[in-house]
Amino acid sequence: MALPAVLFFGIFALIPLIGVVVISFMEWNVLGSPTWVGLSNWQAVLFDRPFTWTALGLTITFVIGSYLFQAPVALLLGVFMAGQQRYRALLAVLYFLPLLFSSVAVGLTFQSLFSPNYGLSAALPFEWLPNDWLSNSDLVMWVMIFVVGWCFVPFHGLLYQAGVRQIPQSMYEAATIDGAGRVRQFFSITIPQLRYTIITSSTLMLVGSLTYFDLIFVLTGGQPADAVRILPLDMYVTGFSSYNLGYASVIAVILVAIGLTLSLALNIISGSSKMESDKAGA
Amino acid sequence: MMTHTASTQSATPDAGKALTPEVPGFEHRDVKQNKVRRTGAPGEKPNLLGGLGGWLWLAVIILPIYYILITSFRTSEDLRSSNQLLPTTNPTLAPFIKVIQNDFFHYFTNSLIVTLSTVAVVLAVSVMAAYYIARSTTLGGRRLFQVILLGIAIPVQATIIPVYYLIQQLGLYDTLWALILPQIAFAIPLSVLIIVNFVRDIPMELFESMKVDGAGEWKILTALVLPMAKPALMTVGIYQALQVWNGFLFPLVLTQSSDVRVLPLSLWEYSGQFGIDVPATLAAVVLSALPLLVVYMLARRHIVAGLTAGFGK
Amino acid sequence: MRRTTRIAAAGLGVTSLMALSACGGGGEGGGEANADAWILTGGGWPAIQEDFDRWNEANEDAQIDIEAIENDSYKGQIRTAVGSGEAPTLIMSWTGGALLEYAEEERIVDLSDHTGELESRVFESVWQNGQVDGSTYAVPLNDVQPVVMYYNQSVFDEVGVEIPETWEDVEAAIETFNENDVAPFSLAGGSVWPALMWLQYLTDRHGGEEAFQAVVEGEEGAWDNESILFALETMQDLGENGGFIDTYNSVTADQNEDAQLLADGQAAMLLQGSWVYSTINQDFPEFAESGDFGFTSFPTLEDGAGDPSNIVGNPANFWSVSADASEEEQQIAFDYISENLYNEETVTSMLEAGSLPPLSDIEDQIAETEDSDFLQFSSELVGEANHFQLSWDQAVAPEVAQPLTDNLSQILRGDITPEQFVEAMNSL
Repeated sequence: MALPAVLFFGIFALIPLIGVVVISFMEWNVLGSPTWVGLSNWQAVLFDRPFTWTALGLTITFVIGSYLFQAPVALLLGVFMAGQQRYRALLAVLYFLPLLFSSVAVGLTFQSLFSPNYGLSAALPFEWLPNDWLSNSDLVMWVMIFVVGWCFVPFHGLLYQAGVRQIPQSMYEAATIDGAGRVRQFFSITIPQLRYTIITSSTLMLVGSLTYFDLIFVLTGGQPADAVRILPLDMYVTGFSSYNLGYASVIAVILVAIGLTLSLALNIISGSSKMESDKAGA
Repeated sequence: MMTHTASTQSATPDAGKALTPEVPGFEHRDVKQNKVRRTGAPGEKPNLLGGLGGWLWLAVIILPIYYILITSFRTSEDLRSSNQLLPTTNPTLAPFIKVIQNDFFHYFTNSLIVTLSTVAVVLAVSVMAAYYIARSTTLGGRRLFQVILLGIAIPVQATIIPVYYLIQQLGLYDTLWALILPQIAFAIPLSVLIIVNFVRDIPMELFESMKVDGAGEWKILTALVLPMAKPALMTVGIYQALQVWNGFLFPLVLTQSSDVRVLPLSLWEYSGQFGIDVPATLAAVVLSALPLLVVYMLARRHIVAGLTAGFGK
Repeated sequence: MRRTTRIAAAGLGVTSLMALSACGGGGEGGGEANADAWILTGGGWPAIQEDFDRWNEANEDAQIDIEAIENDSYKGQIRTAVGSGEAPTLIMSWTGGALLEYAEEERIVDLSDHTGELESRVFESVWQNGQVDGSTYAVPLNDVQPVVMYYNQSVFDEVGVEIPETWEDVEAAIETFNENDVAPFSLAGGSVWPALMWLQYLTDRHGGEEAFQAVVEGEEGAWDNESILFALETMQDLGENGGFIDTYNSVTADQNEDAQLLADGQAAMLLQGSWVYSTINQDFPEFAESGDFGFTSFPTLEDGAGDPSNIVGNPANFWSVSADASEEEQQIAFDYISENLYNEETVTSMLEAGSLPPLSDIEDQIAETEDSDFLQFSSELVGEANHFQLSWDQAVAPEVAQPLTDNLSQILRGDITPEQFVEAMNSL
């Protein structure tokens, strides 16, 4: 039963992954033939390259920042869309729109909107609006978190909308009779009831933003490096702009390790391990 | 349509015990009933704050899309000479004509083939694997699940060089297969995870009773798991379809000729070494988003209903 | 790496998949010896495509298959393809570091005996770029792209300043412009590479082409050069003291914002490649036809050691011939190069499109074109140049290009000092 999936996954994902681990012990500039260098790439990337740690820090900021932005917005949006009013159904269609556009399109568009002389800042009569959205080191990371969130919130909103629809109406009715207000109901009914949706959506958000880079690349080209170059982007630039595949592979392996830890941790929290052991005993 | 509503409506915060399900719950799966009970939003007063937030988010969502739309009806000369945030006074279809003349439908077909076949295979193999994992009592099953979980964390761009070599060794470079096969592989982990969690919640008794009736594995898969897991398949299907439809890294590295070019790559035809034809690029974007939008609008009810049963456990 | 993939292939039952691939469309042509070549999208490349189409029509037994690929993806793809022995017969490059590597790895063949009349027709300053150790490994294939100074005459008239010819003039002009709240120079610093043009010109005017030559030759500590330091300091000064438009770090070149700033009079001058001439004609026809659109060479530096005739930019794109191609394919490529490059029809269509082939024997033709003033200007610029400096990010080893961009970006933001730049570049 599982054989086709295992074959596909093994051949086209696992073997390449092993390949990446192998390359992380090699020096290779794509053009020549790779040569073994043992641990020296690892040594260099981990200890002789301070930027690795800068990038790691940026990655953490990006992942946490994205989560703190996307999760509440998606949750609230989901609750909102689950309401039955007509206009909400219309809004739900519009909310879905960002999912339709590829990162190239989103990148081009935001580049225009953030243009200092011809974009939003120039068009709107607000003096306080900054015009260096994409070049100000203190600002650009938050801009990226916003833009990436813009792309991904709709999908998670959809998940939450479905989750909320599933909560028995009777629970709210009972709570209303008990005199619980809307906020109270949200925290004591909606959130606990959405537990599984929250976990699934969180896994997707966290792991997704850990490995995400294309939009940031399209929008900023990776500059300023010490403000936006998160690990996946660092890996891409190191591997494909500087052709240092050895270093790039080390960074890739580090990323996989972090992602794996994260998804295992989330899996434990989600309790599916518990279910697994239940099943083993059954 | 079979949804999962009844069993999930009875879910309580400790739904982790879903393994001892209330089978009777499955008797009244009635979507309509569900709806009727829902006509009033929680609380009777209108939620002003919520409404405000909703419209605010709409503004955030719409502005870039508005920009994409108005720009696709300009010439690049017009884009440069007027306020680019206001619609042009001389709308033109020229960017669209340019895009369509530039083999748009050919690329569109390629994208369609790649997306549909990838998603179809992903769903098929993932549901099989998920069934195996969810029902497996052996160590192998659990190990397999862990390995597949590992896959979720693999950044695609990290493995692209080995994938490239692999594809080349297989003689698949620059074919649509080069896009379909690896994308299937990378879509499997997440799909399996979601479907497994869903299949696990199918009451044990249903499996047992089918077994008693003498149903084989295939029969159980097609007659029980598939219909019951439909919502999860829907979620996975939509998510992966969007990923494949808009993905550009695999096409970028694994194909080269215009015969097998897909839409996201075709966007790059409007950019040269020193600049981009913005209106044409965005016109291509609008054209490639339209079919998705139509599908979504037509299927929205089903999607939400499908997702509804899919995630609320 | 190869080994792992072979194991994978063996384990899979390759044959069945190979059979599948046959219906996947495209695929490598079935056995006949067609040569192939990859070109880029956009710009003047459609004209090159047409040239190949004509060749293919006229030479049935020497077909060349063409693919057009976007610039950024081309750079990655060509390297992977060359590295894995799957390169197209004709390998396009910008010369510089990449060409040097191809030659050193023996991935391309010596073209010295296969160029026909070409060498005598092409400007010497351009031809040099295709040579490695005295042998010709690459020949130019399209237009020459010098970097020139564009200006908006109406802005100059408004504040009453003359077009600067020397660096002193520039400094005086900056002061006047600033007093009148006009930005002297537009610069797409957000894209970084346009700033490289400044670095190159300033270094060259200050110390001549030798200053950078040491870097290309990989001399130890070569970045620690007073001319490079001078250029970096000057750029930071221009950034801080109103030389560049105040938003220069956010302006990007992808959507021609830098040209737009010049066209709508927000900036007086723009240092950019010759391709911007046609961009302005296309996107800003009003400005192009107003008579205010002008161009000149980079100012001279009074005490500079550099030859004022030196220019920077892209000499052209070049063809090399893959060493991995079959003899038949190579022969097709040689024939194409020696018989067909810069044929009359192609030269005419290039000139009509406003781009300039780097040829010394087409003066008369240039004079008859619509854009004759600009083409004559650039042709003279290139013809008289003592040295044509290839863009540094292409000239250095490909591994160094990214750090160069990164560090220059930091210079533009004022995050590092010129000394730190030099130190960082030397440590690579």
